[in-house]
Amino acid sequence: MVRTMEHPGALLHCLLDMAESMLSVGAEVNRVEGTLSRMGRAYGAARMNVFVITSSVVVTMVLPDGTDLTQTRRITGPGGTDFTKLEALNTLSRRCCEHPLSVEDLSRALAALDEPPPNPVWICLGSMLAAGSFAAFFGGGLWDALVAAVFGMVIFFLQQRLPSLFPNKAIFNLVSSLLTGTAISLCGAIFPILQPDKIMIGDIMLLIPGIAMTNSVRDVLVGDTISGIMRLIETLLWAGSLAMGFMLGIYLVGG
Amino acid sequence: MQTIIIQLITAMTGSLGFCLVFRLRGRLLLPASFGGLLCWGVYLLGLEAWGGIFVPTLVSSAFAALYAELLARHLKAPATLFFIPAVIPLVPGSTLYYAMYHAEQQLWLQAKDYAVQTALFALGIAAGACLVWAAFEMRRSFVGRRCP
Repeated sequence: MVRTMEHPGALLHCLLDMAESMLSVGAEVNRVEGTLSRMGRAYGAARMNVFVITSSVVVTMVLPDGTDLTQTRRITGPGGTDFTKLEALNTLSRRCCEHPLSVEDLSRALAALDEPPPNPVWICLGSMLAAGSFAAFFGGGLWDALVAAVFGMVIFFLQQRLPSLFPNKAIFNLVSSLLTGTAISLCGAIFPILQPDKIMIGDIMLLIPGIAMTNSVRDVLVGDTISGIMRLIETLLWAGSLAMGFMLGIYLVGG
Repeated sequence: MQTIIIQLITAMTGSLGFCLVFRLRGRLLLPASFGGLLCWGVYLLGLEAWGGIFVPTLVSSAFAALYAELLARHLKAPATLFFIPAVIPLVPGSTLYYAMYHAEQQLWLQAKDYAVQTALFALGIAAGACLVWAAFEMRRSFVGRRCP
């Protein structure tokens, strides 16, 4: 299992690529740290010092001859959740732990995973299904669910188009929730049969950083304190801007 | 009773929707979204038994983590893929909405109440899952495997 490390610098660069990919698809901090440590040792490192937070990766690899090699990577952007890619990265790392690929092959395998094109139709349908379901789940009727599903589609399109205009996620949340909040309040004012609060709750579920918030509390509880606190403050800010946007929407329509 | 059935069904379809948004692959969709139904069922049972928010959420989230770990072993996939869809129905979207709605109406007492409830849900989800993960972590260190 011990491989001679011909290009430790290139290998370490590859490992950082892997860490960056994992963080961008929603892997937990301690999973990334564990994966990098194991992979480094599988490639023959004497010791791995890995420190990962959601915005940065620092790795010092101690080579068998005793020299230290350090590289760091700045991670920008909060990233999303992509289970297909997360699973593929997991399989790749597991395979590498058992039979380390050559650095070129590993780099090629990682690049292959980066070519997306995910089918956006399914994501759109998923948004509609989720928004409609949760409108009904929290007590809405059939019409509320249908209207929530339509706005789920609207949110999907906002999520596709707006981030390039508003790279800051707090501002994105504010704008998109203001738009949907105003539109839903207007719908509620025009069609009295609808319950705008239930529709909004259904659509909030798509925007609320619930998973990120849970993960951040979890990070703190398992000892990744810095990551956890960072993410917690970010998510509180996102949730706050989300609430402000919807409130402003309700206020504008005069609900 | 009717409400409960509607909630259970929509918890599952809502989880399914999120599985699609998160690009879970086809074969895992059904087991993952069924976790949403089970998790909400456990929450309702807990609510019946203990009341409140924190304890039922904690128990339900611990159940979701256990369900995810077991499925992960059975279906050879990371546990996160099953845990996140399962706890989606516990995400406190409605209490967050009512907190801000009452804040907008300047009814601060109610707003604070709902904000506290929102925090209790978030804390309950995280704490419940951590208990199960800690148990599995201990077992792992006894068995001593090398790879994830």
